[in-house]
Amino acid sequence: MSFRPTIISFLCNWCSYTGADLAGTSRMKYASNIRVIRVMCSGRIDPTFVLKALREGADGVLICGCHPGDCHYHEGNYKCMRRFYLLQKYLEQMGIDKNRIRLEWVSASEGKRFAEVVNSMTETIKKLGPCVVRDTMEKLN
Amino acid sequence: MEEPRIGVYICWCGSNIAKMVDVQDVAKFIAKLPGVIIARDYKYMCSDPGQDMVVKDIKEFKLNRVVVSACSPRIHELTFRKALENAGLNPYMFEMANIREQDSWVHENRAEATHKAKSLVAAAVYRVKHHEALDKRTVDINPATLIIGGGIAGMSAALEIADAGKKVFLIEKSSELGGNLTRVDLTFPYLYSAEYILNPIITQVKKHPNISLFMNTTIEEVYGYVGNFETTLKNQNGKDLQLKFGNVIVATGLKPFDPAVIPEYNYGKLPDVVTSHEFERLVSNGQIVTKAGNIPKNIAIIHCVGSRNPKYHPYCSRTCCLTALKYSNQIRSALPDANIFQLYADMRTMGKGCEELYTRTSRQGVIFLMFDQKHDLPRVRKADINESCNMIIELNELLSGETIEIPADLVILMVNMEAHDDSAQVAHAVGVSKCGNDFYIEKHPKLDPVATTTDGVYIAGTCQSPKHIPDSIAQAKAAAARILATIKVASVNVEVTTAFVNEDICCGCQTCIKVCPYSAISYLVDKKVSFVNDILCKGCGTCGSACPTGAIRSRHFTDQQILSEIEGILQFEIQEAVL
Repeated sequence: MSFRPTIISFLCNWCSYTGADLAGTSRMKYASNIRVIRVMCSGRIDPTFVLKALREGADGVLICGCHPGDCHYHEGNYKCMRRFYLLQKYLEQMGIDKNRIRLEWVSASEGKRFAEVVNSMTETIKKLGPCVVRDTMEKLN
Repeated sequence: MEEPRIGVYICWCGSNIAKMVDVQDVAKFIAKLPGVIIARDYKYMCSDPGQDMVVKDIKEFKLNRVVVSACSPRIHELTFRKALENAGLNPYMFEMANIREQDSWVHENRAEATHKAKSLVAAAVYRVKHHEALDKRTVDINPATLIIGGGIAGMSAALEIADAGKKVFLIEKSSELGGNLTRVDLTFPYLYSAEYILNPIITQVKKHPNISLFMNTTIEEVYGYVGNFETTLKNQNGKDLQLKFGNVIVATGLKPFDPAVIPEYNYGKLPDVVTSHEFERLVSNGQIVTKAGNIPKNIAIIHCVGSRNPKYHPYCSRTCCLTALKYSNQIRSALPDANIFQLYADMRTMGKGCEELYTRTSRQGVIFLMFDQKHDLPRVRKADINESCNMIIELNELLSGETIEIPADLVILMVNMEAHDDSAQVAHAVGVSKCGNDFYIEKHPKLDPVATTTDGVYIAGTCQSPKHIPDSIAQAKAAAARILATIKVASVNVEVTTAFVNEDICCGCQTCIKVCPYSAISYLVDKKVSFVNDILCKGCGTCGSACPTGAIRSRHFTDQQILSEIEGILQFEIQEAVL
């Protein structure tokens, strides 16, 4: 059977989750590998959540927030961005491809963009293949 | 923690979900998950029988948690929370899985969509186990209202509220009231004078005892939450003035597009190419003349300038076709012998009395010429010296299929209407969101076009999108009515999903204080811990993810709740992969 990645996605309530809803209302089609978890703000996304997802078997993690300057809470997306780049560095040091996690800005009106981001992320993860973190950890335990 | 007893309900949403998701299979699968007491599927969960079923099950099976898997929580989360309350359960013991907007409507493979639905519902079941009862917080509503923008929308709302005996703070950034309407001579479709409409309203607003006017004033930041907002205004003397109010109406309007960026029209280069706004000024000054002071023999009106073209703005400005027809009428009565050309892309005259204006105008010897707005704009150039007119417009006329040249002494550009340059700044100050065109987004495009996603903040008029005058006024009065209703009730339930510090774990590092965008967290020196002010906290959770010890709890978005959601998804996926 061909590789069917599981991608966990954290969407902020105000922009990206609404954008994802709009993709639905507009009946846009995209790859079904994505599993959305709603948070109020991308600033809520603790790096631990991302690591936990990879540890428990996700093949990729997609984080979406409001465009810079548009955060419902003024600057949560900037906080998210800082953590994101640091987290990518951390992943690299752990031998995990940094492209397994992605940060994108999707506004409430960008349903089409959300669909495109999901498809492109799915393609990226398909190319990278399954994430072996969970299996490795299981062996170590 | 009490033993979770979860009821799970999978909605068909008619065929909206059921067509793409095997809802019965999902329910069958979910029923086997630990903690799930009952799992059902039903045609319309949001209907009264659907909700009654939840209420009945809660009582019969002693459920203490509920998951509804249906549309987006943005649509029906509150509906079901209310149902829980009706059954005597805390409304926060509820979780929704979005299997419509984010599943059945976006996927084409039934097996995949069903698989995804199971995964999402499993996540909700895992999450809801960790939900905790949250107490409602009821706050009093300050009966004053802040209205930003003194145009026709802002003033209409102000009068509605002030006439009901409630205080209004009306803020206008310019030195005059009336907004865009002050630059209009006659209104369509009945050609009433804008002045006659506007002046009595301005007079009433100015002398109304319940309206405090703040001219030349902009808003920098609004603090607080529904019922209890506050802001600080700077008056002309540079003195700070503090205002407190319970609700906000944003009615900041829009501004005309600058056509100089469209090379075909030579605006700014040819003196007799004017915008619709400049033409209004000519008409109100009493004479339709060229720059040189001559009476124009040929007048061309070009539609959709900056509108409906991906290079400029993709949307329709809604008012320009009718304004252009209005001009034809005004020109025809002032200059009975002038040739009038309407260069249009599509004639859009919907609205009461509007198609009739089009019919009337078309009988007045006006020449209508159609062009391709997206790919082939008319070109305006200076006429040769031996020609009898100022300018020549060349266009590929769509209906005849011919390339034609028309003479023009005056060209009127029906300019698009766009969001103000400071729309982002206002959006930030009051916490409304913008759509791609910089207009403000309503809470729901169909069900709630007046409220915004921030409780207590409403939008009215053209800051939402270009509109006719009656539509602006209708929206303004609707916003006013909504606010008056909340004032009447006098109190409101506010979100309690704020952050909370566990003082036993807090190490006093104060990282949370640095990341809080609302300065809602302070440091208690005596206890050496952080403290969250519930009133100021808006529940974004940024502090929760920054806290190194896990002392900060984002209520209803706790680490445990989110982590268990992740777990729910991945355990399901791994299990399925093995099978």
